[in-house]
Amino acid sequence: MLSESFLKSLVGLRLASTRRQRGALMGERRSARRGRSIEFADYRNYTPGDDPRRVDWNIYARHEKAYIKLFEDEEDTAVSILLDVSKSMRWMAEDETAPQKMERAAEIALSLAFIALSGGDRLVMELSSGARIGPRRGAGAMAHFASAVSRELARADATSMPINTWLRRYAATSPPGMCFVVSDLLDETGYQDGLNVLATSRAEVSVVQTLCPDELAPRFEGDVRLKDVETGAARDLSMDNATLRDYAQRLKIFTDEAQAFCQRRGGRYFLADTSQSTGDIVARDLRRQGWIV
Amino acid sequence: MNILNPLALLFALLAVPIVLLYLLRLQRREQSVSSTLLWRQSTLDREANALWQKLRPNILLFLQLLTLAFLVFALIRPYINQPGQTPARTIVLLDASASMLAEDVPPTRFSAAKKQVSNLIDDLGANDQLALILMGASPRALSGFSASKAELAAALDAAQPALEAANWGAAISLAQAIAQGDENTAFVVVSDGANADDAKLLTGNVKFIPVGANGENVFISAFTVRRTVRGLAAFVRVNNSGKSAASVLVSLRSGDALLDARTLDVPAAGSATWTQNDLDPALPHLTARIDQTPNAAQDNLAADDAAYAINPVTSIRRALLVTRGNRFLEQALGALPGLQVTRVVPSVDGLTAGQDLSGAVYDLIVLDNITATLPSNANVLMIGAGAQFSSTGVFSNTGFVRAEASPIAQNVDWRGVNVLEAQHLAPPAWLQPVIQAQGGGLVFAGDGASAGLGRVVALPFDLFKSDLPLQIAFPVLVANSVDWLSPAQGLALPASVKPGEVIALPGGSQVVLPAGASMAAPDGVFADTAQPGIYAVQTPRGRGYFAVNFLDARESDTTPQPNLQFANANAQTQTAQGLSQRELWNILAALALVLLTIEWWVYQRGLRTRKA
Repeated sequence: MLSESFLKSLVGLRLASTRRQRGALMGERRSARRGRSIEFADYRNYTPGDDPRRVDWNIYARHEKAYIKLFEDEEDTAVSILLDVSKSMRWMAEDETAPQKMERAAEIALSLAFIALSGGDRLVMELSSGARIGPRRGAGAMAHFASAVSRELARADATSMPINTWLRRYAATSPPGMCFVVSDLLDETGYQDGLNVLATSRAEVSVVQTLCPDELAPRFEGDVRLKDVETGAARDLSMDNATLRDYAQRLKIFTDEAQAFCQRRGGRYFLADTSQSTGDIVARDLRRQGWIV
Repeated sequence: MNILNPLALLFALLAVPIVLLYLLRLQRREQSVSSTLLWRQSTLDREANALWQKLRPNILLFLQLLTLAFLVFALIRPYINQPGQTPARTIVLLDASASMLAEDVPPTRFSAAKKQVSNLIDDLGANDQLALILMGASPRALSGFSASKAELAAALDAAQPALEAANWGAAISLAQAIAQGDENTAFVVVSDGANADDAKLLTGNVKFIPVGANGENVFISAFTVRRTVRGLAAFVRVNNSGKSAASVLVSLRSGDALLDARTLDVPAAGSATWTQNDLDPALPHLTARIDQTPNAAQDNLAADDAAYAINPVTSIRRALLVTRGNRFLEQALGALPGLQVTRVVPSVDGLTAGQDLSGAVYDLIVLDNITATLPSNANVLMIGAGAQFSSTGVFSNTGFVRAEASPIAQNVDWRGVNVLEAQHLAPPAWLQPVIQAQGGGLVFAGDGASAGLGRVVALPFDLFKSDLPLQIAFPVLVANSVDWLSPAQGLALPASVKPGEVIALPGGSQVVLPAGASMAAPDGVFADTAQPGIYAVQTPRGRGYFAVNFLDARESDTTPQPNLQFANANAQTQTAQGLSQRELWNILAALALVLLTIEWWVYQRGLRTRKA
């Protein structure tokens, strides 16, 4: 799903936390609580900006390579990446040559996963089908996560929980830390309750809402019968400019509300157009947003 | 802007099947979406009425309906008037026949037609000329080519219709004579198109302005009176040229006295009859009248609602002709109305000279070279009277000298009459010559009461020895002699004439018109017969009547004919003012074609967008 070259381009990136940024530990790795525990966890390569006091000088003396010691935090923070694999995410646009929404969302989620793993974070991934992958840490776990996600996506009998149910369920068992939700948020029963519960479970919630071009700017014409892939409900519509303008207006309200909702709860929100490349979304847009440093 | 073909508006109903087909053929393309969450919110606001949703503005439907609208507008043939294109010379033929008096177009068709002509006059350009012909039984030019609008308007004002059929052939000949073969002359016919079989004789540039809305008319098409053994019998036939049956009240009157009335149910385009017997045989005349129709709109012409009939002659004069054979004399006597001639031939009937006719009871006895014993007070016409009266010889200088002022010699032109020889009568004093020749009297007349006779007219020569029977003077002389010898109980008047017809009346007649006015007919002709009705004639010899009737079923059938066939198949029919029309159908058809192209392009664009 993600090429080796693309993953190499992500090396050195770190997931940034807004809560850490509000603190005084500028330039620290995201999970800055690490280092306060005495339990050694792992090494990682030194990157400019790291605290020199954390360099293992013994290794440097032996190998002339700088490594940073990682210690377990007593609170055991982790990075959670929740990937929505519902039917609305799996919906295929008419133009099958264009990148599909599910594929792009999975790439975004795995890119965040790689950044977390390569940053020494403990990673858990959960899909809305209920499948949980991890916790694992270390870059070497990336293949495990990637293959697991691929297997889940390939399942023909895949089911999916409603977003609220899924997020509430995860919130009940999730460790504190950073939580990334990759979803289109298009659910009959809504998403606010679930996000609310997740946000109040001491998890720092960041939402990447993935929408494809056919959802952002549909180009339907004439008289159509729209069929919801999740509920099966049908609606007869005559597409005209007024109807499309109406939809655009409602979409903007929907996304604005989602953004406001996340921000009110101390979280972050990003609307990703899945027609953009994963590199543009992750390495460019999310970096601009400050999610990745 | 006006339209020539309003019926084409019915094609606008095609919009109904177009919309229906659009609704029926509405096949929705099924489209799966990730979620109808945001769409549902949209449709909840807009899904108020499913049918109206279907009919929400759709560019294709709009273009199709607009195309249909332009095509319908083209079919109704709208036009605008362009006075600048008026032909330089125009001849207007204005129908003045009886059907133009119909009131289906208020006040009358003729008034509406005059209005149309007035508009034509008003639209004349500075260099345009117009001639006006009134089409009646005798078409006449009200005005030659004139550019003066005032002059033309004055000529038009003088135009009046008449109770007669228009002579289209004569009117067209007159128009073509006025046109003098100029191909640039346009003809404009303003008419209801009734009885226009000869319209096809009109060639050239012809425009037809029809007037008339409908043919709803009930009228009397026949009215006759005859004598029967039980008195007078009257026959009335009422026709209905309308599209629905009419129930009419018909009355029979004599003067102001109502004799009888009957309600007749006349079917549409049909007729009904009424025969009334046992009428008083002494009635001088009868009137049949349509008094009432339930719906005034069913009777748009009032002039044909009455008919008049004169009681046939009440008495017959009986004449005895004694002759060995004289075809001229027999024919002259037989042509006289009301004279019943009995001929006896001496050789056949055993009558010999000197036959005693004293027992014969006749109003008049005609002796043709016969001598006989006559009954007392007999009125006698003696031809070859030398044997009946004493004669002093014969004379042959029979050149005409003079005619006396006698009713017998009235209108008898003796000039040119040749008599071989005549008896020189020595008549009694009561028998005087009325026509004198050089040698003596040729026609004698007198009252023979002193001789035990009645009136006597005597010709002292044999008709076969003269060319008098071959001259026009002979039947006139015979008629005058018979009338003088045995005056008719009534006058020899025609029973019925058409309006405008000229009739001959006895000299010195006084005619009382139906309206009550009295007119003299000193010259023996009377032409003031425009008004239908009973005309009373008073002459020195008595009183009589004649009727003027407008009985013309073809004119009374007021069904207008808006599509007359002229020689030029491309003759235009126009219903509006102005001498020229600029039709707009070609522009509208071109616009419809453009819209069709746009509609195709929009449809194709939609297909490409869906495929993208």
